[in-house]
Amino acid sequence: MIKNYLKIALRGLAKHRSSSLINILGLSVGMAVALLIGLWINYEYAYDRFLPDYDRVYRLKRHYTLDRVYTSNAISLPLVDLFKNDIPGIQYAAEADWGGSAHSLVVGDKKLYLEGTFVGADFLKIFQFPVIRGNAETALSSPNTIILTASTAEALFGEVNPVGQSIRFDNQQLLTVSGIVEDPPANSTLQFHYLIPFTFMAQNMDYVRQACTDWGMNGFTLFVRLAPQISYEEIAPKIENLLTQNSPKTRDTKQKLSMQAMQNWHLYGKYENGKAVGGYIEYIRIFGLIGFLVLLIACINFINLATARSSHRAKEVGVRKAIGSKRKHLIFQFLTESFFLTSCSFGIALLMVYLALIPFNSLLGSQITMPFRSPSFWLIMVAYISITALIAGSRPAFYLSSFNAVQVLKGALRGERSAVMGRKILIVLQFSCSVALIISTFVIYRQLQHVKDRPTGYDQNRLIMSDWSEDISRNYQALSDELLKSGLIESVARSSSSATNITFFSNIDDWAGKQPGSLSLEVAAITISSSYFETLGMQIKSGRNFRDQLESDANSIILNEAAVEKLNLKEPVGQTITWFENQPATIVGVVENAILGSPFRPVEPTVFTPKGFYASILYRLAPQVKTQEALTQLAPIFERYNPSYPFEYEFVDQAYAQKFQLEVIISKLSGLFAALAIFVSCLGLFGLAAYLAEQRRKEIGIRKILGASAAQIWVLLSRDFLLLVLISCLAAIPIAVYFLENWLEQYNYRITMSPWIFLIASTLAILIAVITVSLQTIRAGKTPPVKSLRTD
Amino acid sequence: MISIHNIAKRYRTDEVETTALNGLSLEVKPGEFVAIMGPSGCGKSTLLNILGLLDEADGGQFLLDGIDVSRYNENRRAELRMEKIGFVFQNFNLIDELTVYENVELPLLYNGIKAGERKKRVEYVLDKVQIMHRRNHYPTQLSGGQQQRVAVARAVINQPAIILADEPTGNLDSQNGNEVMQLLTELNESGTTIVMVTHSEHDARFSHRIVRMLDGQTVAESVLV
Repeated sequence: MIKNYLKIALRGLAKHRSSSLINILGLSVGMAVALLIGLWINYEYAYDRFLPDYDRVYRLKRHYTLDRVYTSNAISLPLVDLFKNDIPGIQYAAEADWGGSAHSLVVGDKKLYLEGTFVGADFLKIFQFPVIRGNAETALSSPNTIILTASTAEALFGEVNPVGQSIRFDNQQLLTVSGIVEDPPANSTLQFHYLIPFTFMAQNMDYVRQACTDWGMNGFTLFVRLAPQISYEEIAPKIENLLTQNSPKTRDTKQKLSMQAMQNWHLYGKYENGKAVGGYIEYIRIFGLIGFLVLLIACINFINLATARSSHRAKEVGVRKAIGSKRKHLIFQFLTESFFLTSCSFGIALLMVYLALIPFNSLLGSQITMPFRSPSFWLIMVAYISITALIAGSRPAFYLSSFNAVQVLKGALRGERSAVMGRKILIVLQFSCSVALIISTFVIYRQLQHVKDRPTGYDQNRLIMSDWSEDISRNYQALSDELLKSGLIESVARSSSSATNITFFSNIDDWAGKQPGSLSLEVAAITISSSYFETLGMQIKSGRNFRDQLESDANSIILNEAAVEKLNLKEPVGQTITWFENQPATIVGVVENAILGSPFRPVEPTVFTPKGFYASILYRLAPQVKTQEALTQLAPIFERYNPSYPFEYEFVDQAYAQKFQLEVIISKLSGLFAALAIFVSCLGLFGLAAYLAEQRRKEIGIRKILGASAAQIWVLLSRDFLLLVLISCLAAIPIAVYFLENWLEQYNYRITMSPWIFLIASTLAILIAVITVSLQTIRAGKTPPVKSLRTD
Repeated sequence: MISIHNIAKRYRTDEVETTALNGLSLEVKPGEFVAIMGPSGCGKSTLLNILGLLDEADGGQFLLDGIDVSRYNENRRAELRMEKIGFVFQNFNLIDELTVYENVELPLLYNGIKAGERKKRVEYVLDKVQIMHRRNHYPTQLSGGQQQRVAVARAVINQPAIILADEPTGNLDSQNGNEVMQLLTELNESGTTIVMVTHSEHDARFSHRIVRMLDGQTVAESVLV
């Protein structure tokens, strides 16, 4: 019997080619969008789950209260021993540095400048990255060793076995390679090119030695693996108050500890009031919803075209009923057809997704693949096809099978009125989704432009930054002199933060006019040289810059306007504050606000100090020099003073643009999906308009004989559709506003949604719908009436 | 075989109520060939639809082989149609997407007949109605007479006890009409009960008995054999 159903379906497809094409194409696009988004969601959910025992791995979180509760991964080192020794249920604990800082690795004439992590001895027992060479148990046990990833090992040693070989690290120490691990995959939160024992850091870096006993130096992270059969709920009460119990100074800010499970790191990064409330998961949900909506729009096409064309199938239903078919047979037949059509569309969708994956991956920086060899993938796909076939096919199946045999055999089709109303409701649903997506695209784009156009407060043009190193530290003066002398650079400065990231925060504890009992103010702290403001092009609003001689300005600070405002200082210059471990400092100047952190947030209150460590060298190309030539000539100068590092640099404007990466992706994706949604909706409208024009052919002929013009026929056939699209626009606006207000809320610096956006989006949707419908209705209007009547 | 008593049927639209059958009674014996005649709108087709269990009467009793089927639900009616009744329509009502062979085979599929048996029976019936040579053609490729022969073949494929024919020659020329009537006569001679609605006195003469209707009631009967 199924063979008979499929035969009918196939022959029907061939007979009504254009509507079949509309159905299959629309459903293919809808299924492709949903499948692509599904694969992406699966990829995001799989983050960090590739490691064995991932569900027992946690990262420590510290919560502290200032004006609100802040949550940070940064912890102090004295906690490490407590976690290793004193808390039952914790199998392993490993400290690590912040990660992500780059160092130089030199072997012979091969120089690499790569990011790696300093990790505690049990790191590889917690994160069981596959060890290719060496022993995971002992590879991190002695300080002057290094574990390389496979790609780093190959870049440095080629085919030679690297274990036991030496690497010159930061042009200072020799490290012996103790093991090789596989490269972390792209969907790993932890990314590194090498691992170095944390004991090396403690031996060679003063601040780390000091941090080992200092409860206030929160610059490290702690990873933990729970013993088998131990739940986090058992551990949580034991660790919550460890800080306040051991370190009195943490009590002021009510510091508490918790842990976050590894499977939640990627998706639940946002904490509010000490609890994980969301993060990337919100995008997963939004795009999951979009995928479903585009699929639904395509299914609606199927439903509408099937019910609109029901008169073509009515006779068949009547005949089948007359020769003994039960209703369930007919429902099964129409669902089989839907399943068949959905399967064809799925095949095309699979091809579309396969082709789209390359640009999609490059846009998202992901490595999503089609898991063709996974049986579970195919099982899920069978379920996907079946569910889609049911959504698309149920309404037509129940509607068509309900026909009364006598009536349809007589040629009188009853129940059309309810079908027409159903179709109208579905069209409104389709276009509401499409218009809501168009509005969202506009709002996301406008928000992106709004933030991009935000004045940065400094000049990014031709401004370059390179990472600091021990060699640059030793040779800074000579390097800076030579750079200026070369004529390639008009200004050079050093700082503890790059121009686009603030890496260090501190507190201002006391200041003139502070209300008794009020809390400290958290501020960004940036160590700078006196040439910093000139190099970045920041204006000093009052007071003065630092002097070149550090000694005379050791206790001076410069505030930005945001800090002055937060401290509520009327005459800031000359006043004294207490900050950073109770040090007094005198405000010598106020500089205008500049966005040195997130462009989406208000400018951070910032303290500039001449005292501290450096992490970046910033320099601006002279106006007349050509960029590429300048960079070629700068390389040997840097290599001379920074010999163990390759010359690496980053343009500040490009680094700043990177900050919008997520928003650019969201903007592009929402634009793409909105376009596909409106395309699929219009495809349905096109098919429906064609069918309805054909159905009203006789009426059109008579009207024309009675004197109706082509324009009047166009209005007659188009107005119902346009009314529906208009209703859709009105329905879409509140839905879009609800979602977009939630989305915009995460940005402090954001647009307000003006009515213009809704008007433009609605006009666009109506215009597209008019064009689509007109393609059919104009043709109907132009057909000579005799032809319409003769062929009827 | 068929026994109906006091059958009534009314059609309602929003504003108008039309009485199609008004307390009609009729008996049809096994093996009988009955022609039903009357002016347009007298309720002939409605009667045929009720006899064929395609439509429900609003009142009265309908006994089929002595069993009251008036209150049967749609599923049981479908089963009865499949087992006992074959239909021949004026406009043939073949499914355009199926070939001649597939159209005739369809009732057997619903009846769950195995493939080998199906092939045998379809070929036998197609041969009998002399349309075997067009077995792979689609209905739109056939003449009206050929289409009606296919429809007759489809009606008899399940070997029904009753064939209900609604103006079987209404869309045919006289030669093709005669051929179809000849077919029906042969079927009747082999034992099939036939109830035929017709406007044609010529066709009616092929039957055993003519029942004349007016305004939803039988008004006269004439026995021909």
